[in-house]
Amino acid sequence: MRTRLIIAFVVVALLAAIASSWFHTLIESYHLPGWLDGLVRGPGWLRNLVLTYAGRPPLQPARHTALVFFGVEAGVLLAVIITAAIAASRPVLLPVQRLARAAQRMAGGDLSVRIQPRGRDELAQLVTSFNGMAAALEDKVGELERMEARARQFAGDVSHELRTPLTAMTAVTDILYEHPGLAGDAATAARLVHTEVLHLNRLVEDLIEISRFDAGTAQLVTDDIDVAAVMGRCLRARGWTDVSADVPAGLIVRLDRRRFDIILANLVGNALRHGALPVTVTAGLQPDGQGGTRLTVAVRDHGDGLPPDAIPHLFDRFYKADTARARSEGSGLGLAIAWENARLHGGHIDAGNHRDGGAIFTVSLPVNGHPAAVSGQMVQLTG
Amino acid sequence: MATVLLVEDDPAARQGLELALRRLGYGVRAAGTGEAALRDVRDAAADVVVLDVMLPGLDGFEVCRRLRRGSDIPVIMLTARDDDLDIVGGLEAGADDYVTKPVEPRVLDARIRAVLRRTTRTDSPAETYGELVIDRGSLIVRRAGQDVSLPPTELRLLLVLSGSPRQVFSREQLLSLVWEHDYLGDSRLVDACVQRLRAKIETDTSQPRYIQTVRGFGYRFGPV
Repeated sequence: MRTRLIIAFVVVALLAAIASSWFHTLIESYHLPGWLDGLVRGPGWLRNLVLTYAGRPPLQPARHTALVFFGVEAGVLLAVIITAAIAASRPVLLPVQRLARAAQRMAGGDLSVRIQPRGRDELAQLVTSFNGMAAALEDKVGELERMEARARQFAGDVSHELRTPLTAMTAVTDILYEHPGLAGDAATAARLVHTEVLHLNRLVEDLIEISRFDAGTAQLVTDDIDVAAVMGRCLRARGWTDVSADVPAGLIVRLDRRRFDIILANLVGNALRHGALPVTVTAGLQPDGQGGTRLTVAVRDHGDGLPPDAIPHLFDRFYKADTARARSEGSGLGLAIAWENARLHGGHIDAGNHRDGGAIFTVSLPVNGHPAAVSGQMVQLTG
Repeated sequence: MATVLLVEDDPAARQGLELALRRLGYGVRAAGTGEAALRDVRDAAADVVVLDVMLPGLDGFEVCRRLRRGSDIPVIMLTARDDDLDIVGGLEAGADDYVTKPVEPRVLDARIRAVLRRTTRTDSPAETYGELVIDRGSLIVRRAGQDVSLPPTELRLLLVLSGSPRQVFSREQLLSLVWEHDYLGDSRLVDACVQRLRAKIETDTSQPRYIQTVRGFGYRFGPV
């Protein structure tokens, strides 16, 4: 913008110079009053100066002298024009820059930004409009945030309320289910009720777990855990004996054992359900590049892999990549809960496809590992 | 046949749990409020109390505290999983264990049986450690000549630790040995129980002689 102004000024100045030169030719023979004559032809002492140096009859000064004088004059004028251009552009550019910075801060999330309008010109009007827009945006976003908070609170409250009728149902559903006198339709009905009550229990439990993350009341209960031991028990307790795990023996880290188990169980469960065997789990310690260490656990399957457009949404709540598989044993919240559990530890989970096929989920958790305890011996946990 | 005192205010949940417990083979007496439960326990003995945390009037924690004042009867809390205040509060009030609602009957059954098992006796001579005398045969614990009343879980914790003096037990191991919880049990159960036990047998709980903390590893009995 500034360059354009400078160029415009210089072009205008050039045109004005050419026009004045033509004008000079036109009025050359006219006799002008003193002050005007000085303005159009230059002051008398300047003409004398030129004559003195040229040392020639007035109408033919030496070529190179004329060029020198012309050069000096042009140079001075150019400097003056450019300074004038810059000076003229400042009152325009400065507010524009301020507006641009304010817009940037708003885009970054600070909706409280406002600018003080100065004067009453078009720029001041622009600033006033900007302020009005920012205020409206701030109100709208605030309202949306409040609505979201209310929705999450509601989800948590509903789940809590559901627990009471579920307590009675859970206590007695297997009495129906195991009743020897039931046959045919009644037996099928009892079995359905039994499975669905347990399913509902899991869903309510997951909803309550998620609502605790949302409310900020989820807490880490940490302990020094033996990674290989915890992972081994996680797999064995669920009967996943065909999952192979390579985990260093003697690796002790400080983590929330229950949450770590949940993350691993969810990832391995998904790999078995939606991927294909063989499913492998690897774990290890890695430096995080800032003086700390991270525990990295990777769960890999050999199925078809993840559809690329599903990957950004995998950890969304109730996201189901394959809509044909709308009915699943899980609640649809498994990955979301795993992700929140990792985040609570200060870590994260990445999802992607292995270059040799199949999906791979990598959990990275900051830990204060005891590298000295790593014996360098890999332990085969199952299979 | 063991008798359960069930304290639950929601009528449907009370009816359902009572039905389930009867089918599991327990005798059941049900109360809808904490006050009714305390009256019941005074009138006739029960073997174990299953106590809901959220009760009208006297809340579950207070009922547990009052139960503890008079007896060593095992108490299992029925908690909602709202937040961990429920669990910690129950442990501090003196509960032996907890289950979260909704609870499947087999889980409740397992917890009740585990808690009742804690008071099995063995034939061993009484052991003396400084001022503490532990008699495994009669399950009597004495400190400086005075009988110390211990509910089953605290007693079992003391017996397990003192059964292998100087050996360090991790919280995980204790959860399995004392509470018979799986590997995902809440280690705060152990910490709360240790605190309650220390309050009863240590002269100075800030410098425990009998139940010692081994940082980063767990707990051990002695060396005295």
